Amino acid sequence: MKQATNLGELFAKLNDLKSLFHYGQKMIPIIQNLIDFMGETVPLLENINQSIAESTAKIPKATNQITNVTSANELATTEILDTVDAISSDIFNSEIVINNVIKTQEQKVELYNQLKEQLKGNDKAEGTLAQIISLDETVATVKPLLEIFDKIKTGAYNITLSLQVQDITAQQLAAVNHLIESVQSKLSSLLTEFSEADVKEVKVNKFEFSDSTKAAFNPDARYEDMKETQQMADELINKTNLTTASQDEIDKLFS
Amino acid sequence: MDLKFLVVDDSVTMRRIVINSLRNLGYAEFVEAQDGKDALEKLAADDSITFVITDWNMPIVSGLELIRAIKTDAKLCKLPVLMVTTRGIKEDIIEALNAKVNNYIVKPFTPHILKEKIDQILSNLS
Repeated sequence: MKQATNLGELFAKLNDLKSLFHYGQKMIPIIQNLIDFMGETVPLLENINQSIAESTAKIPKATNQITNVTSANELATTEILDTVDAISSDIFNSEIVINNVIKTQEQKVELYNQLKEQLKGNDKAEGTLAQIISLDETVATVKPLLEIFDKIKTGAYNITLSLQVQDITAQQLAAVNHLIESVQSKLSSLLTEFSEADVKEVKVNKFEFSDSTKAAFNPDARYEDMKETQQMADELINKTNLTTASQDEIDKLFS
Repeated sequence: MDLKFLVVDDSVTMRRIVINSLRNLGYAEFVEAQDGKDALEKLAADDSITFVITDWNMPIVSGLELIRAIKTDAKLCKLPVLMVTTRGIKEDIIEALNAKVNNYIVKPFTPHILKEKIDQILSNLS
C-alpha cells in the first residue's frame, strides 16, 4: 500500500518535472530573444555612454566661451564709455571756450557802443564803425554751436544709459552658464554611475535658481522698458510709507 | 545738500553709468564698491559717506544682505539706501522693503527716475 503511495508521489513529481521542461521549452525562445535584445542594446548603451562623455567634456569649453563673450562685451563697453567720456570732456572744454568768446564779444559790443558815442558828428568814422559792427557776426556764428553741443551731450549720455544692456546681458549669460554647469554636473554623476568614466568636472556654483536672491546674477534680468514694474515698485514704496510691509498690506495693493 | 555717494555694483559698467548720471545731476563725490562686503569695508573706513546706491545680485555679500547689515547697525542705520536692480517681481520688492530699503529702482533706469528717487529719499529724511 505504501509502495503505491510512493509511486503516486513519484509520478506527481515527474509530471511537475515534465511541466517544468515543457515550460522551459516555451521559455527558451523568449530567453533567446532577451539575449538578442541585450546583445543589440549593450552597444547602443555604450554609444550613449560615449556620447554623454563627449558632450560632458565639451561643456567646460562652452561655459568658457560664454565667459569670454561676457568679458569681451565688458571690455568693448568700457571702451565705448571711455570714448563717450572723452567726447563729453571735449564738448565741456569747447563750451568753456565758446562761452569765453561770447563774453569777449559782449565786451566788444560795449566798446563799440562807447566808440559810437565818441565818433558822433564824424560821419565817415561812424560809417566805418557801422561796417565793422555789421561784419562782426561772432555771436551769431557761435551761439548755434552751443545748441549743437547740447544735442551731442544728450546723445552721448543716452549712449551711456543704453550701455546698461551690458550688465543685463552679462547676468543673462551668467544664468545660462549656471544652467550648463548644472547639466554638466548631472551628466558627470550619471556617467560615473554608468561606467565610472572619469570626466573632468567644472566648478558648479552652490546656489540654485530657486534662491537667486543670493546669486551674483538675476536669471530673469531683461533689457526692456520697465515703466510698469517701476510703477509697481513705487506703489509699494509709497503706500507702505517706507515702513515694513506685511504680506497682507502688500496683497491689498494688488487686489 | 552735498552728498557723498557709495555706488555698489559688481559691474564696472553699471558703476560708471550710475556715477555719470549722478555727475549730470550735479553731484561730485563718489566712492565705489564691487560687492556688499567691499561696501561695508568702505563704510567702516569712511564716515563721510552720506548715501548708498546698491545693486542686488552681487557675489560674496548681496545688495539685500548689505541693506540688512546697514539697517541693523547702530552707526549706519540712518544712512539712506537706494536699490538699483534688475529684480522687478513683487516678492523681491517686498523683501527689499522688509530689509528697510529707502527706495527702489528697476534697471534699466532713466536719469529722471534716479533724480526722482534721490529727491524723494532726501525729502523723507528732512
